[in-house]
Parts: sequence; structure tokens; C-alpha cells
Amino acid sequence: MMSIYSLSVLFSIIFLLAVLELVRRRKLKEQYSLLWILMGVLLLLISMNVKLIEKLAAWLHIEYAPALLFLFGLLFCFVLILHLTLVITKLSKQVLRLTQEMAILKGKESTLHEHHH
Amino acid sequence: MSKILVIIPAYNEELSIRRVIKDIKQHMPAADILVINDGSTDQTASAASEAGAVVINMPFNVGIGGGMQTGYMYARDNGYDVAVQMDADGQHAAADLPHLIAELQGNDLVIGSRFLEETSYRSTFMRKVGIRFFSRLVSLVTKQKFTDTTSGFRAAGKRVIELYAEYYPIDYPEVEAIVYLTSRKCKLAEVKVEMRPRQNGKSSITPVKSAYYMIKVTLSVLISALRFHEVKTAS
Repeated sequence: MMSIYSLSVLFSIIFLLAVLELVRRRKLKEQYSLLWILMGVLLLLISMNVKLIEKLAAWLHIEYAPALLFLFGLLFCFVLILHLTLVITKLSKQVLRLTQEMAILKGKESTLHEHHH
Repeated sequence: MSKILVIIPAYNEELSIRRVIKDIKQHMPAADILVINDGSTDQTASAASEAGAVVINMPFNVGIGGGMQTGYMYARDNGYDVAVQMDADGQHAAADLPHLIAELQGNDLVIGSRFLEETSYRSTFMRKVGIRFFSRLVSLVTKQKFTDTTSGFRAAGKRVIELYAEYYPIDYPEVEAIVYLTSRKCKLAEVKVEMRPRQNGKSSITPVKSAYYMIKVTLSVLISALRFHEVKTAS
């Protein structure tokens, strides 16, 4: 039988390898992979230290220790989603700026053409 | 003699844009007219350029804020002293232009208000409530009395042109654009203008949009007011 801890260890390892492979194939920017690698390593470490997680759970008055694993996973997801919306905000700002600059340049170009004819 | 640019953001306004441009040429022959065609699917662009305006075509709809900022960027890059923004649907009267621009003497931004004195403008009850709410909110936050903060009829001097070219609020910009200037220590004034009923087409405002508008604008005004020291907005 497989415990939640060994499943978690297995998952963390596969996950870390997948992230590294994605970066190697340039499907994922190094900049954005850092958060994922951090989360993979963290998850791996706490899944391997059953004693640690049980101590932590007892300290936080959590009866079912593996619930702490889920809590970590969930909190990490929130942080990552916030990070993503920050990235999107920056991107949409840049796209708007580009669109504006391009529209102005194109307008200038067409009036230049009119003057030549 | 100051260089004046009239900026008209237009989205599918081929029926009224000609008349708006003609109206401006009649009352302000010295002004240049710039139409920001915000991804219209009709003949707005050709109607505007035939009527004698410079047209900038946005490749897709970027919204009123993104379009207006493009106009201010153009004004800055081409050294205009005054930029006036005006609606494309013919609700603003060009006859008010000289008045608006004259008031820029000693002010950085002049807003054309429908409610400063009794005018013939009539609107629905709900809209009046909304307009009054935002005017109260902005007056509270800026400690200056405003009567028509949603008005899109306004004249900007050189300092405001520079500021707006750098930063302009995106979604529903009129109200927040005022608070932004007061945080930058600009002088603002209101001037009474006439507002005509809509000539063509109908308002794009629906109840759901209005509710979103109220919440979004209130939030952005409050946050804007919290920025005592303007944070760097450059990305």
C-alpha cells in the first residue's frame, strides 16, 4: 500500500523533472520556472520528512497531518495565481502602449504618403 | 498664438462625425482636429478624413481610455499647447470651445459642466443620481467642488497633456482622470456648457454595465486618493 507521503514524494520528483524539461525546451521562461522549482523542492522536502510534518501538524492542532500538505499546496496556488495576474497586467499595459505607438506611427506614415502624391 | 488640437475618440460614429467636425471648423477654424478611430466597423475613418480631420486608426478596440491617451500622446509629440477632448456623437457644442479654452488661463484642466448652472440638459433619474454621487465623491477626495465629473468635454494645457500622455486610466477614465491630476497638484476648473440630446445611435450603457461602472470607478477613485506619493507607473 502506498501512503500519501510516498505518493507526494513521487509526484514532487516527477513534477520537478517536468519543470526542468520544459525550461530545457524553452517552453517555460527561467524567470517563471523559479517559483515552480521552489514549490517542487519544498514539497519534496516536507513529504520526505514525515516526522517534521507530523510535528508541525501537532503544533498547529491539525489532527490529520497530511492535511498540512494540502494546505501548503493550496496556499502556493494562491501565490502563484496572484503572480500570474501581475504578469498579465504588465503584459496588457505593454500591449496597449505598443498599439498606441503603432497607431500613431501608421497615421503619420499615411499623411506622409498623401503629401507625396 | 497657441497650437490647439481637438481630440475626438470615435467608435462607430459615421453618422454624426461629419457634423461634429464641421461644427468645430466653424467655431474654431485655427484648431487641428484628430479623430481616434477605435476599431470601428463602419465608415467612421473615411467620413472623418473626408471632413478634414487627421485620423489615427487603432487596429482593434482599445476602449475610451486607451484611445484618449493615444490622442494626448499625439498632442505631446507634435507640440500642442492645448488639447480639447470632445465626444463624437454631437452632444458637445463646438460653440463652447472658445469659452473652455479661454478658461485655461491660470488653470491646467477645464471641464465642461452640464450642471454648473441650469441648462436645458435633461437626463434620466438614475443617471442623475450616478453623476451626483461621483461629483460628491470626487469633491470629498479632492477638497474642491465639482458638479460634473463624468463629462467628457474638457480642455487640457501643456502640463496635463504631458501627464496624460504618461498615464491615463483605462476602463471608465473620466472620473479618475480628475483625481489623478489633483494628486499631481494641477489646477482644475469647471465651465458651464450646453449639452445637446444624442443625435444618432443610442447609449451603450446598460444596467449591468452601470453597476460595474459605479463599483469600478468608486474603487479607482479611492485608490487614486490613497496614492499621496505617486508611485512609478512605468512598466
